[in-house]
Amino acid sequence: MTDAAGTTPNAWRASGAVTGSQAVAELRHNLRTPVNHIVGYTEMLLEDAPPEDTARRAPLQEILAAAQDVLARISVVLAPTLSQVAAEALTGLYGDLREPQARIVRAVTALQTQSGSALDAAALDDLGKILHAAEQLAPHRPAAEATPGAGVGTGSHDAACRVLVVDDDAANRDILQRRLQRLGHRVFPAESGVRALEMLAAEPFDLVLLDVMMPGMDGFEVLSRIKQDAATRDIPVIVISALDDLSAAVRCIEQGAEDFLSKPFEPVLLKARVGASLEKKRLRDRERAYLRDVDRVLGAAGAVEAGTYQAGSLGDVARRADALGKLARVFDTMATQVRAREQQLHEQVRALRAEIATARRATVGGSTKASEVPTLHTGERLAGRYDILASLGNGGMGAVYRAKDLELGEEVALKTLRHDLVGDPQLIERFKTEIRLARRISHRNVVRTHDLGEWRGTYFLTMEYVEGITVRELIDTRGRLAADAVLAIGSQLADALVVAHSEGVIHRDIKPQNLLLDGQGVLKVMDFGVARLAERGNQLTEAGLVVGTPAYMPPEQLFGEEIDARADLWACGVVLYECLTGRLPFEAATPMALIATVLQDEPTPLADLTSDAPPALTGLVMQLLAKRRDDRVPSAQALRERLGAIA
Amino acid sequence: MPRILLVEDNEMNRDMLSRRLARRGFVVEMAVDGPEGVAKAAAGGYDLILMDMSLPAIDGWEATRRIRAAETGTPVPIVALTAHAMAGDREKALEAGCNDYDTKPVDLDRLLGKIQALLGGSA
Repeated sequence: MTDAAGTTPNAWRASGAVTGSQAVAELRHNLRTPVNHIVGYTEMLLEDAPPEDTARRAPLQEILAAAQDVLARISVVLAPTLSQVAAEALTGLYGDLREPQARIVRAVTALQTQSGSALDAAALDDLGKILHAAEQLAPHRPAAEATPGAGVGTGSHDAACRVLVVDDDAANRDILQRRLQRLGHRVFPAESGVRALEMLAAEPFDLVLLDVMMPGMDGFEVLSRIKQDAATRDIPVIVISALDDLSAAVRCIEQGAEDFLSKPFEPVLLKARVGASLEKKRLRDRERAYLRDVDRVLGAAGAVEAGTYQAGSLGDVARRADALGKLARVFDTMATQVRAREQQLHEQVRALRAEIATARRATVGGSTKASEVPTLHTGERLAGRYDILASLGNGGMGAVYRAKDLELGEEVALKTLRHDLVGDPQLIERFKTEIRLARRISHRNVVRTHDLGEWRGTYFLTMEYVEGITVRELIDTRGRLAADAVLAIGSQLADALVVAHSEGVIHRDIKPQNLLLDGQGVLKVMDFGVARLAERGNQLTEAGLVVGTPAYMPPEQLFGEEIDARADLWACGVVLYECLTGRLPFEAATPMALIATVLQDEPTPLADLTSDAPPALTGLVMQLLAKRRDDRVPSAQALRERLGAIA
Repeated sequence: MPRILLVEDNEMNRDMLSRRLARRGFVVEMAVDGPEGVAKAAAGGYDLILMDMSLPAIDGWEATRRIRAAETGTPVPIVALTAHAMAGDREKALEAGCNDYDTKPVDLDRLLGKIQALLGGSA
């Protein structure tokens, strides 16, 4: 760091990783110092440039812009918060610095060669200092890489490039070789066109300097062959000829030459044109590499779709310091997380299926309790549209049937509503509103509500028919469920509530009887919008009309307060508690005693009742059962996220 | 005319910054390392010191501490300059006795603002 001579020491050019915040800071210091010089001298030159002299001001402003680019790149890769920088990131940074560095060099060269320039000796001196500082920005390739004897010089902004010099004249070859070596390039001479093509076929080159007038195969022919061969087509060719001949230049450019120089050449011009050609090639190569990396990200997206994506397979794309690298990193992380989540859900659903299968075997031949008061009979046609196929049982609000909807041509579940619940015309209007709202919920975890109808004084609801069992049946036959199965139920229930709550629909009656599981383990929540109707039956003063049980109702609902979405979350807590333990968190002999215990008592901690459930899950369920709704998980969305985070 | 002592080991930094400050009407004297900076500061006569932090021999923090320790009269304002831009650099500089802190590359207007603020009435 003791750069008393104004030069940057070579230590930072090491390409290995940098460890320790002090080391990163030193590296940052070593790179920012030349930027400080570039900015300072350039601003002074700008101060001296007359406002109307745009020819002088524009390159100076370009230098400042490039310096800002350099700073921006440095502050990304060598951020002050970092205590370690990977070798790849450093290599990438040095590579990235070449572009603004080349812009600075080009602008300085343009100023130095400006005809009729009013720059005085001091200004030219300062331009030299800017150039010198720019050279500190990106390292030359380590000398070890250079061909023995080729002698990598200093004083160039370009990293050592492989340049093929094709000239039949030994003196010309020698001059070019020495000049290019002084610019820091590795030079390979060829004395004939044939020899040049042999060398091009055998080794990679960054640039060809080609004489036109040669015995045997002339420069035009060599150029034409280089441009015809896909392997060499992209190597820039600068044609050099003693012919001060415009037509030769035109012919070369038409054949694909990058540039043309006439002998005897100006060293400054040679330097500028070589630099520009190499820079163009570098940019082209970088663009290609970029597009290749874009292709890899797209390929990875395809692999995710096909389910074959392997974490980390974006490899070095993810190590890029630019936006594409960031995209690749984010993509990789997300794809990996999604994969893990899918895997986890898969496991949970498998556990759930196993529970369902066992429960089904247990109920085969069991009593699908026939409706005690069936109001409809198998074979009966309702409203000229629904053929009753079978009774599915009785609920608190009426009887449920499997029916064929002759209009839709599909099976539906048809639920009749008790007369006493629908006797009030105002109530039926409110109920219709609820059903209209509920019909807007479309989700794989929600049983779709079709229609509310009335036939001969009997109100009925039709809905999607799901063949499966309820969570009630599952708990009744299995007792407690495995934690994975509970997670599968909880996640799907939360999913359904997220959608319903976002539509402004509170279920109000989440309980195991309303949760259906199909054969695939997909949970379907029933009776959205129906609970409003039942509320009337829950008037505690009308003891005889209590529908269901207060076991799933939160304290605020029992107090008769206005409820919100968090009432459903409480009910989720009760359901999950029941799933995990096979018993309710609050139990009592009578409804009044039950209400009292819900309001006053704390449930037995889940951790005391289960040993295999993850503490994160038992803790979450206990939080759902908080008496104050502010103490519960705040939303279904939050519940879903918390459940998703439990492995 | 305010006199500034620029303590800076990097030749190009010295050249550039001293010329820029001279253009703004300051008299700039220079020291190339910590010990020279401490010695010149002790001799007195400066309205402000610009102190590079990464100096050979003794660094800018140490040089500042020594200047402060030797001071008997009104403390001379010291502005720390560093290209490190590390988290905590500023606090470290202020703890050592600097009055302000700025980063390199130098934003001249910002630096001049800080210098003027410290020179206050004496400018």
